Amino acid sequence: MADKTVTNRRAVLQASLGAGLGLAALSSLFVVGGLKPKKEITPESEPPKEGDRFVIAEGPDKGKLITLDALPLGGPFVLAWPKDPNTGVVKSGERNNLAMIIRFQPDEYDEETRENTDQGVAVYSAICTHLGCTVSQWLADQKAFLCPCHKGIYDPRRGARVIGGPPPRPLPMLPVKVENGEVVAAGGFLSPVGVAWRRSGAPRV
Amino acid sequence: MSVYRWLDERLDLDRLNKKFMRKAFPVHHSFFLGEIALFSFIVLVLTGIFLTLNFEPSSRLVEYRGEKLPAAYASVLYIDSLPFGKVIRSAHHWAANIMVASVFLHLLRILLTGAYKRPREINWILGLLLLGLTVVLAFIGYALPFDAYAVTATQIGYGIAKSIPYLGDWLAQLMFGGEFPSLRSLPRLYALHVLWLPLLLAALIGLHLLIMIKQKHTQPRYAEEVAPGKVLGVPMVPMQATMMGILFLLYLGSLFLLAGALIAHPVEVYGPPGTSTPVLKPEWYFLWLYGLLQMIPSSWQIPLPGGAAITSEFIGGVLIPGLLGLVALLLPFLDTRRTKMRYLELPSQHPMRTSVTVGLLFFFFVATFAGWKEEFGMTNAQLWAMLVFIPLGAWLATYVLIRQIWGKEG
Repeated sequence: MADKTVTNRRAVLQASLGAGLGLAALSSLFVVGGLKPKKEITPESEPPKEGDRFVIAEGPDKGKLITLDALPLGGPFVLAWPKDPNTGVVKSGERNNLAMIIRFQPDEYDEETRENTDQGVAVYSAICTHLGCTVSQWLADQKAFLCPCHKGIYDPRRGARVIGGPPPRPLPMLPVKVENGEVVAAGGFLSPVGVAWRRSGAPRV
Repeated sequence: MSVYRWLDERLDLDRLNKKFMRKAFPVHHSFFLGEIALFSFIVLVLTGIFLTLNFEPSSRLVEYRGEKLPAAYASVLYIDSLPFGKVIRSAHHWAANIMVASVFLHLLRILLTGAYKRPREINWILGLLLLGLTVVLAFIGYALPFDAYAVTATQIGYGIAKSIPYLGDWLAQLMFGGEFPSLRSLPRLYALHVLWLPLLLAALIGLHLLIMIKQKHTQPRYAEEVAPGKVLGVPMVPMQATMMGILFLLYLGSLFLLAGALIAHPVEVYGPPGTSTPVLKPEWYFLWLYGLLQMIPSSWQIPLPGGAAITSEFIGGVLIPGLLGLVALLLPFLDTRRTKMRYLELPSQHPMRTSVTVGLLFFFFVATFAGWKEEFGMTNAQLWAMLVFIPLGAWLATYVLIRQIWGKEG
């Protein structure tokens, strides 16, 4: 009889300990959930969308609207932020919005790439798909983008496919049209910007 | 003396003295590497306190001397303008470098003398964790000045974390306070750098030392000859403590001489973060990873279920260092020989272990060399050939040489 009481007591103790631990573990999920910061979207950090214009991102002409005649034929590219024409907000609050605008003769692009260009103007994400640096250099001899961090090289005339170095995917393209000489977005980026462990479609070969 | 007696009556200092202060420390020059790491930690905490008192962990733009600058960057300029501010910040930087180096050399000493073996597996694992924490802390320290260098380097770290299949986005945002750089990033990185990770580091150092005192040092070779089976060494107080004190002062003097002569990381050279990427290389202890990241071509990609993929950056940034760490963690469980558990093993009598270690070191050297891929005009094919054959050659050559000179494994 006495033994049984001890067993029961132990069982109750173990059950309450288990329940307590379980509840504590469960409630800690709230904490874990709160550790990942919320993404707060402001007008400045909204992704580019159809109808957005582009402004020069750096240098003495910073903030100037990008027009066809501001883009040298055959490169180099111009670093640009999208700008909402209705509100006048420059969307520089989100690094992933940074774009490179380049201009070639339309027949220099391959067919697939040309679909998303207009009058030879192409827009690509400036965020390297390797480790997220800004692809900020121009190789004049190869007519290619160079990311200085780990020397990834992209060919802007063939959908920014990787022609050198380690990047796993081409740079995302943003379809454009040219209206009254201004470069206008015809949509958002066509694939995820920057580093991603996801395969974004099959890389073009 | 009466103060001692007063305290002794209340705290039983005599017992403490007998139990801990008389601990026998074996004397060997290679045994000071861990101490140098400890001194570095102490100096990092002290210089760090000065820095925290003046640093502002925010990337919000503020007006500073007529310029719009991130608050963190401006506060670093302010620290540099304080009396000895630049030197203290520079000492913090150099002490971090010395800490990474001494922890690594300490690890090499333990590895080459077989001191990781049973019964010291726990301290070996703690030591590896300490190395990992030291490197992570050093890396987060990169980010805090928030200049162009800091932001680019941290972006790369964020990218590496983000490339982990399935968990990447979540882990990266947890560590970097959301997407990097955002306004939430610096407060989180700052809290990790000055509070939570140093606390963890201090706790692990304490545990590391307690276990070392409990298990006792591996004895140097001379002890085996002089007094086999006995613990041979000088008492912690006063002899070891005196040596430690002298070494600490030497360390402090050399560190501040170095810090004053070579002012580390002047932020105004890099400037505040802009849209373009500055051309830069990481610190020497990350160059091997930087080299590997440049060598791994874009074609190295393994598709995973659910639309995921193991990509080139994951292989270079996570997989290779992760595998090296895993092998290191498992080492004491793979090498279960129960010989010489009390004594140091001579590297010359363990040709296989010594030569593999040398091969591994050459792997680090070649990967580091690959960090200068552009400057030396090397192609990936050349670098890969070097990375495979030089470590292999070094391994074989060391093995043959040791066997030739010292004979068989004994």
